[in-house]
Amino acid sequence: MQRTSRLKRELHLLTTEPPPGIMFWQNKDRMDDLRAQILGGANTPYDKGVFNLEVVVPERYPFEPPKIRFLTPIYHPNIDSAGRICLDVLRLPPKGAWRPSLNISTLLTSIQLLMSEPNPDDPLMADISSEYKYNKEVFIRNAKQWTEKYASQQKGASKTPDEEVTQSEASTPKESAISQKRKANDISRKGKKPCLDS
Amino acid sequence: MQILSHSFINMESSDSNDKANIDHSEAQRRSQLDRLEREEAFYHFVNNLNEEDYRLMRDNNLLGTPGEITEEELMRRLHQVKEGPPQQNGDENRGAESTEDVSNRDSIIDWLNSVRQTGNTTRSGQRGNQSWRAVSRTNPNSGDFRFSLEINVNRNNGNPNPEAENEQSVEPSNGEDLENSQSDTETPRSESPSVRQPGSDRSTSEELATEEASPLRGQRRARSRSPEQRRTRARTDRSRSPINPASETPRRSPHNMPSQTLDHSLVNESEGSSRTRQHVTLRQHTTGTEIASENAVLFSTPETRPAPPALGSSETNGSSESAAPGQRPPTIVLDLQVRRVRPGEYRQRDSIANRTRSRSQTPNNTVTYESERGGLRRTFSRSERAGVRTYVSTIRIPIRRIINTGFNETTSVAIQTILRQIMTGFGELNYYMYSDGDADPSGPAPNQNVDAPELQNGGDSGSTSSRSESTEGSSGEVYESSNEGGSTSARREGRNTRGSVTFEESGSLPFLSLAQFFLLNEDDDDQPRGLTKEQIDNLAWRNFGESDALKTCSVCITEYTEGNKLRKLPCSHEYHVHCIDRWLSENSTCPICRRAVLAAGNRESVV
Repeated sequence: MQRTSRLKRELHLLTTEPPPGIMFWQNKDRMDDLRAQILGGANTPYDKGVFNLEVVVPERYPFEPPKIRFLTPIYHPNIDSAGRICLDVLRLPPKGAWRPSLNISTLLTSIQLLMSEPNPDDPLMADISSEYKYNKEVFIRNAKQWTEKYASQQKGASKTPDEEVTQSEASTPKESAISQKRKANDISRKGKKPCLDS
Repeated sequence: MQILSHSFINMESSDSNDKANIDHSEAQRRSQLDRLEREEAFYHFVNNLNEEDYRLMRDNNLLGTPGEITEEELMRRLHQVKEGPPQQNGDENRGAESTEDVSNRDSIIDWLNSVRQTGNTTRSGQRGNQSWRAVSRTNPNSGDFRFSLEINVNRNNGNPNPEAENEQSVEPSNGEDLENSQSDTETPRSESPSVRQPGSDRSTSEELATEEASPLRGQRRARSRSPEQRRTRARTDRSRSPINPASETPRRSPHNMPSQTLDHSLVNESEGSSRTRQHVTLRQHTTGTEIASENAVLFSTPETRPAPPALGSSETNGSSESAAPGQRPPTIVLDLQVRRVRPGEYRQRDSIANRTRSRSQTPNNTVTYESERGGLRRTFSRSERAGVRTYVSTIRIPIRRIINTGFNETTSVAIQTILRQIMTGFGELNYYMYSDGDADPSGPAPNQNVDAPELQNGGDSGSTSSRSESTEGSSGEVYESSNEGGSTSARREGRNTRGSVTFEESGSLPFLSLAQFFLLNEDDDDQPRGLTKEQIDNLAWRNFGESDALKTCSVCITEYTEGNKLRKLPCSHEYHVHCIDRWLSENSTCPICRRAVLAAGNRESVV
């Protein structure tokens, strides 16, 4: 219903008070197709990784949750190879826990939390899940490998991050997010493996 | 709004930094500005609505999406809905009908969806030699839902002309059919107080599936039956109280008339075919603490009657029919009515006492499977007394066929097929009923009617039920006992027979899954779904005052401004009415704290 105005407010809030480790911007000019980046948490196998996410805002937002998926491959029990995320707040009740008082920022924070604390009891990837449960070292090794391979070096070739830089710089040049962002981008300059961008 | 424009400027600057897109972003900026303006107008409009108008708009889905329609459009809609809802319905019906003549399953689903949205639709289609039309109307005030389905069977499979004309004739007569269904709606209500003839009632409720085996028997019995009985069988009344045949006749005629015209147009091609009328009345009551669902399905079909065709036809279909009995193609009319009783709204007829009373009238509440060459009749009842839920369902399909001289087997077979298919549509539902039907107080009386084959011979007087005890017997005692017996046995019987019926022709008519879909979806719908309008309206509502501490609606992330209408949930969280109402129409928890908006018990009742 109130999608447009609400999204504007959300974008504004995100640019003024971005949650740590999360960036969020419009993809091109579209209001309903957003991009986000989550930085891998420090004490996780995703450390130093930069994970791109796609946030599609449905027409009925906020009465329906936005559809969020990882564009960057990630080795995680609750995220499948297509980037789909198994998380209750991403789904509508009664099965899910989405509610309109949540927003894209809180969802991304939840995803960030899910990355640091997988939920192997509700697995999307059974193999990874059992590995996480019973063979954690292997899991960590694999996850680190994937992070390094797909997420750690954000190659400059990737369009999305570049766009993001210009946009977020322009709108909130002094935001801390930007510096974080730049760091991430600097790393990615070395450019290794292209990620699964769009 | 300050925040808003501020954020907008941010975005604008970011957009314009993208050099390639300056023009584009400019255009986008404008459209977004327009949209924001309209959104503001929307809030303004909603703020100025009084509660009644607001509900009217909301319930008719006229509010739309903020920012997409202008305030003027909203005003126009409001005036429109205030001035002429009935006319609008008519338009919708007509419009829907003109475009729809596809009879595949998808279209049925579409139709159902559109029924859900608009409440009123008409669909028609053709499938093989059967053409059908479904008309549904929803009364937005009472929540009553009516659905009527009419099937025309063209007996002359080989001849394409009749089919075509069949279709044509069906289409234009839609308006009449609507009236037809409307009059049907009212008819059952007025019937309740009348007194039913014992004998006739019996005849319906106790015919058994076993009779189906012998067509001859059915015919014989039909012939022997008295007119009154036939008429009584043809009716189902909502409260399931006895019907007085005498009062029945005038009532029948009004809704038969409109469809009559329909049939007349077909007379030429369809000579010698039979006509079938079915009335299905389905009622569903949802009350605060219990659900009672009565499905009364009544199919009355002119029966194949070798000897006195004129008699049978006039009885069943009214005067106009007698003019050309048996010359019309079989037409099956199925009327379905669903009524939702608002929580807390206890009417006498919906009360437990009433239902119990009606249950004690075993003949009307029993599960009976009757078939003599296609005659079906079932009644189910179910109740969970301690478990709060009462579920009474009645499906009766007494069928009579009129055999005219030109009648052939194909027609009757076609009719039977359709009837079975219809029953199949209800099959799943019936299954539920069955499971509880055994607990019915009607008791484990011995089944006297299972021996129907033998009884058949005795059934000359026309009271089938009493055949077991006395051929002609319409005496009260006989009536009582046989009814009890009939109820249980018939239930058993029905269960057995149902299986075979289902397997035989399941799903061959696309719309037959309708009933199933519709009824079974009640559960599905209610589970993820939210509160009813009434429940939402019962929640507190107030105007945001200047003195209130500054707060923000967490649905739209907008600060309240003076004059905003807020709804306060039991958990004390407040939102814009239009924001929270929309959420609650599909969900039942507070968006902030996720507490159930309704008490658990109340919530249960919704399901």
